[in-house]
Amino acid sequence: MFYRLPEFNYYRPATLKEALYLLSELEDVKILAGGTDLLIDLRIRRYRPKNIIDISRLKELKYIIDEGDKVRIGSLTTLQELIESPIIRSKAPLLAEAAYNMSSWQIRNIATIGGNLCNASPAADTAPPLMIYEAKLKLKSIEGERIVPITKFFRGPRKTELRSNEILTEIEIPYIRDVGSSFIKLGRRDAFTLSIVAIATAVNVRDGKFADVRISLNAVAPTPVRAYTAENYLKGKNVTIDEIKKAAELVLKDISPISDVRASAEYRKEMSVILTIDSIVRSLDRLGIKVEGWEL
Amino acid sequence: MGVVEDPYTLIEKWLRAKEFMVVGKGIERADALDKALGRAKFVEDYYEKGILFIKQILSTEPHARIKRVIRDEALKLPGVRAVITADDIPGENQVGYALPDQPLLASGKVRYYGETIALVVADDFDKAFDAAELVKVEYEPLPALLDPLEAMKENNILIHDEVGSNIAFRTRIRKGNVEEGFARSDVIVENEYRTHHQEHLYLEPEAALAIPGLDNRITIITAAQHPHLAQAITARILGVPASYVKIVVPYLGGGFGGKDDEGPLVAAKAALAAYITGKPTFLMYTREESIMIHPKREATIIKYKSGATKDGKLMAIDVTIIHDTGAYANRGPFILWRASVHASGPYEVPHARVDGYCIYTNKVPQGSFRGFGNPSVQFAAEAQMDELAKKLGMDPVEFRLKNMLRPGSRTITNQLLEESVGIAEAVERLAKVAEWRKKYVEYGKERGRYRRGIGIGVAWHGISTSRGVPDWSNAVITIEKDGSVTVRTGIVEIGQGSPNTSHRQIVSEVLGVPLEKVRIAFGTTDAPDTGATHASRGTSIGAIGVLVAAARLRERLNKLAAELLGASPSDIVIKNGKVYVKGKEDKYIRWEDLIREAYSRGIEMSATGYFFLPKGKFDDRVGQGYAYPAYSYVAVIAEVSVDTYTGKVKVTRVWPALAAGRIINPTQVEGQIEGAVAQGTGYVLMEQLIFDKKGRIINPDLTDYVIPTAIDVPKVEKPVYVEDLFRYGPFGAKGVGEMALIPVPAAISNAVAHALGFRIYSLPLTPEKVYFEIKKRMGKR
Amino acid sequence: MKVSFILNGKYVSVDVKSNEILLDVLRHKLGIKSIKRGCERGECGACTVLLNGKPVYSCMLLAVQVDGQEITTVEGLENELRPLIKAFAEVGAIQCGYCTPGILLTAYALLKNSSDELTESDVKKALEGNLCRCTGYKKIIEAVLQARKYYKKA
Repeated sequence: MFYRLPEFNYYRPATLKEALYLLSELEDVKILAGGTDLLIDLRIRRYRPKNIIDISRLKELKYIIDEGDKVRIGSLTTLQELIESPIIRSKAPLLAEAAYNMSSWQIRNIATIGGNLCNASPAADTAPPLMIYEAKLKLKSIEGERIVPITKFFRGPRKTELRSNEILTEIEIPYIRDVGSSFIKLGRRDAFTLSIVAIATAVNVRDGKFADVRISLNAVAPTPVRAYTAENYLKGKNVTIDEIKKAAELVLKDISPISDVRASAEYRKEMSVILTIDSIVRSLDRLGIKVEGWEL
Repeated sequence: MGVVEDPYTLIEKWLRAKEFMVVGKGIERADALDKALGRAKFVEDYYEKGILFIKQILSTEPHARIKRVIRDEALKLPGVRAVITADDIPGENQVGYALPDQPLLASGKVRYYGETIALVVADDFDKAFDAAELVKVEYEPLPALLDPLEAMKENNILIHDEVGSNIAFRTRIRKGNVEEGFARSDVIVENEYRTHHQEHLYLEPEAALAIPGLDNRITIITAAQHPHLAQAITARILGVPASYVKIVVPYLGGGFGGKDDEGPLVAAKAALAAYITGKPTFLMYTREESIMIHPKREATIIKYKSGATKDGKLMAIDVTIIHDTGAYANRGPFILWRASVHASGPYEVPHARVDGYCIYTNKVPQGSFRGFGNPSVQFAAEAQMDELAKKLGMDPVEFRLKNMLRPGSRTITNQLLEESVGIAEAVERLAKVAEWRKKYVEYGKERGRYRRGIGIGVAWHGISTSRGVPDWSNAVITIEKDGSVTVRTGIVEIGQGSPNTSHRQIVSEVLGVPLEKVRIAFGTTDAPDTGATHASRGTSIGAIGVLVAAARLRERLNKLAAELLGASPSDIVIKNGKVYVKGKEDKYIRWEDLIREAYSRGIEMSATGYFFLPKGKFDDRVGQGYAYPAYSYVAVIAEVSVDTYTGKVKVTRVWPALAAGRIINPTQVEGQIEGAVAQGTGYVLMEQLIFDKKGRIINPDLTDYVIPTAIDVPKVEKPVYVEDLFRYGPFGAKGVGEMALIPVPAAISNAVAHALGFRIYSLPLTPEKVYFEIKKRMGKR
Repeated sequence: MKVSFILNGKYVSVDVKSNEILLDVLRHKLGIKSIKRGCERGECGACTVLLNGKPVYSCMLLAVQVDGQEITTVEGLENELRPLIKAFAEVGAIQCGYCTPGILLTAYALLKNSSDELTESDVKKALEGNLCRCTGYKKIIEAVLQARKYYKKA
């Protein structure tokens, strides 16, 4: 009664094959998984699709499988299932942490990881962890399938590599060992809210020097980003607060925040730096390495 | 010998009661089960298919002449019954509350983005939506004024032409001689403070359902806080006698003042549509419309200068209060008046000058919201107190106690407070419970990333209505033939529980009947006008009528029972369904039998409880005289932790204290305190309405107007109560509903100033604002 | 199109358009008034229902999405909710009541799925998506913890 959803033809295929077939046949289509983004978009008239394909019942896309060196997640896995999965908690903990801070229990019970990625909001919270893990996304169509690394998946606000006849079916997460990692989200309140900025980092250390460093941020660019300049600087440097601070400043080279109703570009820039330091220090802390000179 | 009927005598008699059966206990509310199981009905629950659906057309200009409203295309659609504009209003298109400056539907001109221009009425929701899309409005834009300081000076652009300026209202307080006061001050502090709008965000948006009857009569089920006001406004719009309009207020999903202002307008809109189409109609504001249309908490600019002697005695205050009243004055004049009268804070100040200005701007109007002008002025006043204390090298609580109002004090309007001033004791006890002194010293020394702070806000709030407007109470109580008791009152159930708990308790206590026998019919114009459920008067004033009516019936029953039992009326006890002489419980009459006997003897078993609250004189030219019959006092100590690296403020603990007379239902009062603290915390830390260059609210939704969830609220400790009885309140009760919110902005901002070592002079204290202030003062971390 | 599902233990079947949301179908076509309308954007929680035992926002589901599923509202849990409601009434956790049915469903789902180690923090996290503007949440959390001993993990 507050909003009116546009009219559309509704399809609910029973199998993935059927869904892919429909997707190739119909025009002006939107995929309905959990619907927690789509229903808002329909209300505010961002999209007015003629056809909606409901894939939420495709059990074949609901799984979490531990294959030792990698974890495979079906794209219809809900955010709540990610939080509750012992496999995710041990092999891709940042993803569980991010999901834990996303929205409410009610939304997490139906929102899917696939939906969050394909919606491609610049503030999508599952993105920074997956960017850190360098996840691989499986995209399927009736013509076949292809793998796209997540770092190449986002093309702009609400734009992805997904073709109009493709469905994201699986997210494959390589298991990275011996890293300390951390996910930090800053919002206007402690409870769920759109990020002002969220950061995921993962580091490992050899002989007192940074070996591998990965930093990813959301809400500070048209897409979630990896701060490669900062990462490359830090690799091989001594684990000291001065080097971390220098790297954090370099994060600014890879982001381009805007001012919006939630925060100004200035604030986002300053927080990107501060929270990068926080996140790296915490990641080191989880490896048992204490860094002097910074209070967490 | 006659029976006592005089209200003053009866009120005083029950004030002196020493032992209570149900008053003072946390009795469960009567509506808990119905609400839990979804059986309690709110307005939308009465909507059924077939009732006409109304969709509003809102202005998309902040200031413009309306050239024309094009409705032909919309009217052509099947199922569209009417497209109503100002021209179609049969009565008078005037709903202004304090000043006659506000139309129900925009007429000739629009004055804010979101103002209602037309009502589309159709068979159902879909058809109304379709039709609304086809209605077009042609505007001739006028220059818009969004900043109150600019609007104040601007005489060429007038928002209300007939006023001649953009100043809607002025207040003045002149006590003593401020020049002399400052001359005798050893320390002087002068600052400018700014506070922002707040949105009520009651979970149930506004709604009304109007049902036309025979002969122009109409019944409206509406979410309003004052049934008789909704009745009056609807009658005026329709051009019918008030008695033709019946208002029924079911359960309300929150009000906080917003539905006091907007409720009658929603009722009038629905009634207008029903009147014109001749069919039942339903109007419910969408959440976005609710945020865009209804009046907000005042946004203010307060310039405050205070002086004190080196012994810590306040000498003088000079205050300029500017309220951004938006497009229409609405309650602005009353809000400004209250703010002006309370500008000193609860302290004795011998010399005071206060100048208040209510300024029109092309934005959403300001209106009633829990605290009604007081939270912003106490924010400024309490900051001043802290800064004076700092300059004097005195502890902030000590400094306040040195100047606090006590029985025998005079306020800045020179009103003598003879009794019921319990604030000093409340603050002393609160400071002890919160370990104020220890923490003030300890936290002030912290220098790390996270800095703790502790702050106090002390406030006062006159109960009953402002500007000397007469206040009264009333109720009708009938003891039915079977011994059950029906109470009719205009007070509504907004959630605070007044009708369903405290009123029932009072009736139960006075008549001696078990609670289950008492039924309250609330929120109806079938009851006598009880005034609005606002100004924290639901129990404090609203229940006086209930007390008096019940007391009158009790006197009659005492007399009858005395005759039957051969005793004196003053020895009659009524308890647990039995009527007996004190000390002789075994020889009793059953309550039902007593009532039956009363009926058979023709003793009237119905009574009204009309009580007129005596008010003194007030001279508006100098702001001196009797302002309020009594004041509730409240203090809050807040403990915060500030992350100086991000600017994030966390309120960790809050200790409240209340000197609000008799606490009739402690559970109910705690609920009000806890809710008020949450709402105040949200206001200070995260709630912010953001306007664009067109005065349009760009965050009219819960995604971007963030309010506290269960995770975001501070820990609220058990309240300290000082029961400083008010002689006219039921059992000595004063108002509670608004109290705990009023000092929260002051307490939190004082705590943050303590944590940081410097003060931020405006609200809200969002992470971004605090961060940049820290960066400015303390440099990069 | 027709959508059929189990509503409070009973099989129902109703004609809906594809663009009708579950909230409207439940309230207007199936007479379930306990679920309330607060925002229609999945932010306030007043429209919470249990979908196969899990709390979800009925404003964020198309009616057609629940075909063949199980929906529960407070009307269908009168007996099961008694201990919770009793705690809410005793503690004073209900004021205007608009958020109450939604909160009871979320709390019920929480208590039926949690262990004895349920903490205040857990309760707050579970109720994060149910806004209340009246109570400040303190008594709600107290009532949920008070009632927990009556509910065993399913």
